[in-house]
Amino acid sequence: MIELKQVTKQYGQAAVLKNITLSIDEPGIYCLLGRNDAGKTTLLKSVAGYQNITSGTIQVNGKRISTAALDTGVSYIENFAKHFPLPVQKLLRIASEVNPSYDYDFALEMMDRFELDGKKKFNHLSLGMKTMVSTMICLASSRDVILLDEPVLGFDAIMRVEFYDLLAESFQRHPRTIIVSTHIIEEIAKTIQKLIIIDKGSIRFFDTLQAVETKAFSVSGLQKDVEAATSGLNVIGQDAVGGLVTRYLFDKAPEQTASLEIHPLSLQDFFIQMVGHKGGAAK
Amino acid sequence: MRAIFAVVKRLLASNKISFILTALVALCATSSGEVVLSNGNYTWLLATLSPFFFVFYDFTKLMHLGASKKAYYMGCLISYGILALCISLANTAVHLLIDPAYSAQRVINLMDVCRWTENGLLLAALQQMVFLLLVMVFLHVLLSMQAHWYGWLTDAVLAAIICIFTPIAPLRRILAGFFRLIMLNGNAAAHIGICLLLSAALSLGGLAVLKRKTL
Repeated sequence: MIELKQVTKQYGQAAVLKNITLSIDEPGIYCLLGRNDAGKTTLLKSVAGYQNITSGTIQVNGKRISTAALDTGVSYIENFAKHFPLPVQKLLRIASEVNPSYDYDFALEMMDRFELDGKKKFNHLSLGMKTMVSTMICLASSRDVILLDEPVLGFDAIMRVEFYDLLAESFQRHPRTIIVSTHIIEEIAKTIQKLIIIDKGSIRFFDTLQAVETKAFSVSGLQKDVEAATSGLNVIGQDAVGGLVTRYLFDKAPEQTASLEIHPLSLQDFFIQMVGHKGGAAK
Repeated sequence: MRAIFAVVKRLLASNKISFILTALVALCATSSGEVVLSNGNYTWLLATLSPFFFVFYDFTKLMHLGASKKAYYMGCLISYGILALCISLANTAVHLLIDPAYSAQRVINLMDVCRWTENGLLLAALQQMVFLLLVMVFLHVLLSMQAHWYGWLTDAVLAAIICIFTPIAPLRRILAGFFRLIMLNGNAAAHIGICLLLSAALSLGGLAVLKRKTL
């Protein structure tokens, strides 16, 4: 469905995306995780055809994507999207008119659920509500690929929970590829099927959450014991405090011994280890 | 087609400032003496203002509402056609109904200046319409290019042409000849044909610019 081959994007000498090859074949909700400036927005905008890449190819449903594509079949929304200063209800109606195959009923349903005043003008809404309207417009579009860039920015905890439910509901209604970029990792875990971790312009991880649950561990103990237990395994990070060492693995679990403490990694810890930075400590 | 017409509706609806400014200028402009300017001339202001809104205000917002670039561009071209027709009809109506009511000896309406009225009012209105369409498409393309280096280059080339061609007599004749073709042309068929051809060529150029447009 979405295929990126050796995609590189440079701004002058700085490479924002570095030789990315990625294939998303199945419909599902995918989470794009990355630190600030990791290249998330650039990647999403490139897939949406909102900007050109320096080299490589991007295809969506076999159609090559660039700014030259007059109709990409991709719906993308950024968190500070600008809209006409019109009442929300009118905005949703215009969106349904300019968008073929738009699910207007779903958009209205969402508006009611989020207790949005349809008569209130977009420019009079709070940041969170503005983001919600943009997200609603994007989700109600029945396009094959939906890209949501930081959709929960400015949402309170209740709105975030509602949003994740909405995301799941939208997917059930129209199964397709939905990619959500976010910083808030743990909350979205229940909703997504696969995880994409991007760091410094490269894809560091692309697999199911189940893979993280079954293969990501921390192993703590004395240095020699930890080194012996993890030798030959895929170590993604390491911490050392005094004589105690903790190694983070993405592999099969090492054999449990009395001198080792082995714990599964939380999604957040896994992400931190994958992107290799924690509190300024060296990886 | 539904999406394109929805874009047309939105473009025209969000063009209120242009409508109001044009109406204010056309209604409030006054001139005195034996030779006066027709108020209908000021309706052309709408043709120069609209592309600014379509390019700089509407594009991003329509994209964020999920419109395709194709629907946006087709919508713009259709809107320019509608606006050109409306402006032309308004100025023709002013020329027909209001201009004779002036007490001045001579009322200057651009339709006369451009020699379009030599062909009768119906053809003159059509000539005016295609000329205004050309102006709007030209402005749309020029404004769309401003975010790129080639937009600035085009500005510089246009400024250079005007600065160099105007003071040098043989070059000035070429420049005048060009304006006689696209504007001050009494030959209705040739004028309409040239304006439509240039509009089509510029529209294709505009499409190429749109294909490079980022968001």
